[in-house]
Amino acid sequence: MSTAKDTWRKRPFIANPLLRYGLYAAIVVYVVTTFATLPIDWDRIAQGLSRAGRIFGGAFPPSFQRSELLIDGFLESLKIAILATVGGIILSIPIAFMAARNIVPLPVFYVGRAIIIIARSFHPVIVAIIFVKAVGFGPFAGILTLIVYSIGFVAKLLAERIEEIDPGPVEAMKAAGAPFLSTLIYAVFPQIMQRQIGLGIYQLDSNLRASAVVGIVGAGGIGATLANAFGRYDYDFALAITMVIVGVILISEAVSGAIRKRIA
Amino acid sequence: MLKITSLVKRYGAGDPVLKDLDLEVPGEEVVSVIGSSGAGKSTLLRCINRLVEPTSGKIFLNGTDFTRLGKRELRVGRRRIGMVFQSFNLVDRLTVMENVQSGRLGYISTWAALSRRYPKEDIRRAFELMERVGIAHYANKRADELSGGERQRVGVIRALMQQPEILLADEPTASLDPKTSEQIMTLLRDLARELKLPVIINIHNVNEAKEFSDRIVGMRYGRIIFDGLPQALTKDAMNEIYAGVPHEDRKLEGAAA
Repeated sequence: MSTAKDTWRKRPFIANPLLRYGLYAAIVVYVVTTFATLPIDWDRIAQGLSRAGRIFGGAFPPSFQRSELLIDGFLESLKIAILATVGGIILSIPIAFMAARNIVPLPVFYVGRAIIIIARSFHPVIVAIIFVKAVGFGPFAGILTLIVYSIGFVAKLLAERIEEIDPGPVEAMKAAGAPFLSTLIYAVFPQIMQRQIGLGIYQLDSNLRASAVVGIVGAGGIGATLANAFGRYDYDFALAITMVIVGVILISEAVSGAIRKRIA
Repeated sequence: MLKITSLVKRYGAGDPVLKDLDLEVPGEEVVSVIGSSGAGKSTLLRCINRLVEPTSGKIFLNGTDFTRLGKRELRVGRRRIGMVFQSFNLVDRLTVMENVQSGRLGYISTWAALSRRYPKEDIRRAFELMERVGIAHYANKRADELSGGERQRVGVIRALMQQPEILLADEPTASLDPKTSEQIMTLLRDLARELKLPVIINIHNVNEAKEFSDRIVGMRYGRIIFDGLPQALTKDAMNEIYAGVPHEDRKLEGAAA
């Protein structure tokens, strides 16, 4: 006769029941007390709701009357995104090589990683605020901001790709007495080119999205147009801009996705 | 002529991988190095062009002591040593011609390499060699479109483009099927004769080693324990080379010490 057990339970994530239920209780208590003690002014929220109602009421129907302004804003955003992508990628390639452990000596590696970490640690809006202060309102601040943003993303992923390359060709070039740069050009570049192009296209799409955001803090492009429209209580125009932003981003995402699939 | 004297390679604090090894390859001969995995064959080969840095010992190639070369001199020195790899080590996304010309990277400027402006005589030599091994019609194909045997032909030609004074082949046929493997071995032997080039081949297939080489070197646990003509490689000699496992050798050495 078989005496095999017929009950089985998945082991709980935290084995100790006291610790498990204690942790659940602690989370509940913390969330409830924090919410209760935060200075949330319900009267103001109630007033705000009616204000939100006015904004949305004023926004319908969206107004495309000043479409020239809209188009100009978008073209500027597109220019910002393209220039920032080109500049960002040109700077990302050497930084990525500096941040690849299998290519450079340890001190250089730390410098490369540090640049990437700094570029990644601030949200584009914060970087934009700094650059707007530094070089003034307008698209140039936007371009600088998005270059920093591009480096943080492209250089990091490219460095990871460089660290994954097949070391065989590098060994072969070394054995043939090739100089350092020639080795990179022949043995490393061909292996990372595909990823580089994919990242570039993705980053262009991403920069276009981000350029709308950083424009709000004064870095030019459609974001600036949107901020102005809000400032002037032109809620109908603001809605039109928002709709077009969503549309353009959907299109650019579809296009970049299609291209990246093709080259994969 | 290649002359290696008391070569030692030690990783960390452990037992050396190569123990006081002497080897002389005088002229144009094909030398096969046999021995079980872990015997130090690959380390020996890589010490010669210092892809692996020797711990001590001397390596002379036609009068130059390779162990004493500085960084820059070593780079120039490596042009004189061609190397063929087990996994071919081609750049898949480059064309066959670019792969072949990468053997000349030590001679041409980085700008010429980047812009693919190869010297006329290099291009002629590439076509001659590719013609010789039957891959000239692949010049514009990407390397990953080729079969294993064709890829290793590219690997061999790339090494020969260096106009080396010696050719090192690290298990050049281990990734190939038996028939292709024989073709590549035939090619290596014939090219060695035509170009009057000494060749050292690490190889696992003892029959091929006997058939295609002028001399066989048997290694076991970091030492050369057989060195002679292929005919002299008797069953007993074979047993000695392949008997036991490195692990047991290590124990024996430990007991002796």
